[in-house]
Amino acid sequence: MKHVFSRSLAIRHLVCGSCNGCEHELNALAGPDYDITAEGFELVASPRHADVVTVAGPMSDAMRAPARAALDAVPHPRVVIAIGDCAAGVGPWCGVGTAGDGAGAELGAEVVVRGCPPTPDQIKAGLREAAERLNRRLD
Amino acid sequence: MTYIERDVSLAALRAEVRDARARAVPLGAYASENVVHYLFLTRDGILVLRAPVRDGEMVASCTPEMPLYDWDEREMRDERGIRFSDHPDDRPLAIEHGRIPEARTAGGRGVTLVVVGPVHAGIIEPGRFTLSTTGESVQHLDAQLSYSRRGVERALEGRHVVDAAALVARICAACTVSRATAYARCVEALAEYTCDERADLARLVLAELERIYNHLFDLASASAGAGYGRAQVEGLRLKERVMRVCADHARHRFMLDAIQPGGVRADVVGDPPSLRAALREMREEIARYESMLFDTRSLVSRFTGAGIVPRESARALGGVGPAARASGESADVRVDAPYGAYAHLAPSLSLEARGDVLARCRVKVREIGASLELADRALAELGTTRQAAPVELSIRGGRWSAATEGPRGAETISLATDARGTITRMHAISASYRNWPLVARAMRNDIVPDFPLVNKSFNLCYACADR
Repeated sequence: MKHVFSRSLAIRHLVCGSCNGCEHELNALAGPDYDITAEGFELVASPRHADVVTVAGPMSDAMRAPARAALDAVPHPRVVIAIGDCAAGVGPWCGVGTAGDGAGAELGAEVVVRGCPPTPDQIKAGLREAAERLNRRLD
Repeated sequence: MTYIERDVSLAALRAEVRDARARAVPLGAYASENVVHYLFLTRDGILVLRAPVRDGEMVASCTPEMPLYDWDEREMRDERGIRFSDHPDDRPLAIEHGRIPEARTAGGRGVTLVVVGPVHAGIIEPGRFTLSTTGESVQHLDAQLSYSRRGVERALEGRHVVDAAALVARICAACTVSRATAYARCVEALAEYTCDERADLARLVLAELERIYNHLFDLASASAGAGYGRAQVEGLRLKERVMRVCADHARHRFMLDAIQPGGVRADVVGDPPSLRAALREMREEIARYESMLFDTRSLVSRFTGAGIVPRESARALGGVGPAARASGESADVRVDAPYGAYAHLAPSLSLEARGDVLARCRVKVREIGASLELADRALAELGTTRQAAPVELSIRGGRWSAATEGPRGAETISLATDARGTITRMHAISASYRNWPLVARAMRNDIVPDFPLVNKSFNLCYACADR
C-alpha cells in the first residue's frame, strides 16, 4: 500500500505577495508539457486535503494571517516548499516597502526552489524532493 | 506620444475632468504630495489635469458622476491623505494592519452572502469576493483586493530611475513588458532621448508575444471555468510553446528585463528571421485552436450570455483593453495614441458587442492572430538587424506619464524625478486595476457557479492592481 502511494502528493498553494510569475509556472504544471498528475501529484482546493504546501512571495502584510491560518489547517506530516527567490528570502521584493523577508522562512519551508520565477521543471524537482521527504517521515 | 500638463484650480477640477472625459479616454488619477492628477489619453498622447490641494482643503470627488474614479480617489485618500468631500464610499481601499474593510452588500429581504478568499481553491492570487445573492442569483459583488500589496510606490521613492527599472519590471510578471515599456518611455522622455527604431521594433515584437501568451492562458482558463478540459490543455500547450519562444528570443520565459530604459537588452530579438519562422508556425495551430473553441457547441453555449458587461457600463466604469473591446468600446492605446513602432504598424482591432464571456474569448482569439501578424511585419522590417545595448541616459528630471497597451489594456506609468534622476513619485495604473469593477458588474444577475468562468474570462492580475 505504501509503495503504491509513495509518490502521491496533494498540493496546496499559498500566494504571499508574489508577482504572479510563480503562479503562472505552477499553473503550467497542469498542462501537457509538465503534467504532474502523471507523477501522482495533484493540486487540491482545500488545505485540509494537502500534504505539501507551496508558498510564493516575500510575504505581504495582508496575507500573513490568512496564510498562517491556511497552513495550520494542513495535517501532519507535511512539507512546506518555498517557490521562487522571494519566498526563498533572496528575491527582488524581500525587505522592500512593506514586504517581508520571504514567505518560506516565515512558514517553515524545508524545501527551497530558487528562480525568478523557477521554471515548471525546477518546481517539479522540488515536488519530487518533498515526496521523498514525506516518505521518509512515514517510515 | 506627447505629454501635456494643464494646471486647473480645485474649484474647477470636476468640470474640467468631466469635459476631458467626454473627449478623451480616462486613464485614472493619482496624488503626489498636495497635487491631484487626472490622466487622459488623447490622440496626441497624455493629458494631465493637475490641481494643487492646500492644507485642509477638500477635493470635490469625481466618483458620484464618474464612478471609474472610485478606487483611484480612495487610494489617494489612503495613501496621500487627500480628503474628498462627497465620495460615496468612505471605506479604505486597502487592508491596513490586517483589518479588511467591511464588504459592501446588497440590501433587501432574503439576501445571503457568499464570501470567498483571500485563499482561493485554485492557483489564483489572493482577493476577497463577497457575493450578495438571493439563492443562486447574484445581486452584487464586492471585490476587495490589496492582499498582494508590497508598498511598491513608496519604496521606489529615493531610488535612481534607472536602478528602479528592475523593480518596476517585477511589479507583475504577466505584464512586465508592457509596464517596463511605459516606464522606459517615461525615463527616456526625462532624458530627452528618443528610442532608436530597431529597439522600438523589438519592443513591439516582445509586447505582442506577451499579449499572445497571456491571451492563450486566458482562453485556457476560461475553458477550465467551463469544464472543457480539452481546450484548457490545448491552451496551456500553446502558451507553453510561446513562453519557450520568449525564453529563446528574449532570454526569459516572461521576458523580464528585456525592456530597459534606453532600448532593449542587446541579446534579445537577435535573430529576427528565426523568430519570424517560429511565429509563422503558430498561425495554423491558433486557427485550429479557434475551431476547437468555437465549433464546440456546448462550450459556446456555456460562454454565451455569461458575465455580461453592457457597453455603457464598460464606458462608465472606465474599462480598458480586450474587456472593453468585447463590450463594443474601441479603446486601444496602440491605435488611440500610437507610440514607438505602432506609429506605423497598427493592429487590426477586434470588436464585439455583447460583452459576455463568449465576446471576450472571441476578441482574444482574434487578437492572437493580429499580434502574430503585427510581430511578423515588425520582424520583416528588422531583417537581420541585431539589437544594440541600451543607451546610457542622462536624466534631466521633471515629470512624465506614458501608457502602453498591455494584454489587459492600458498600462500607465507616471514618473517624477529630481534633477539627479532620483524618483520623487512613481505611480502605476494597471489595466487590471481599471477592469476589476467590470468583473463586479459582469456578475450582477449572473449565478454564483459562473463566478470562476466569468472571472477567468477577464483573468486580471492582482499583483499590479495591489502594488
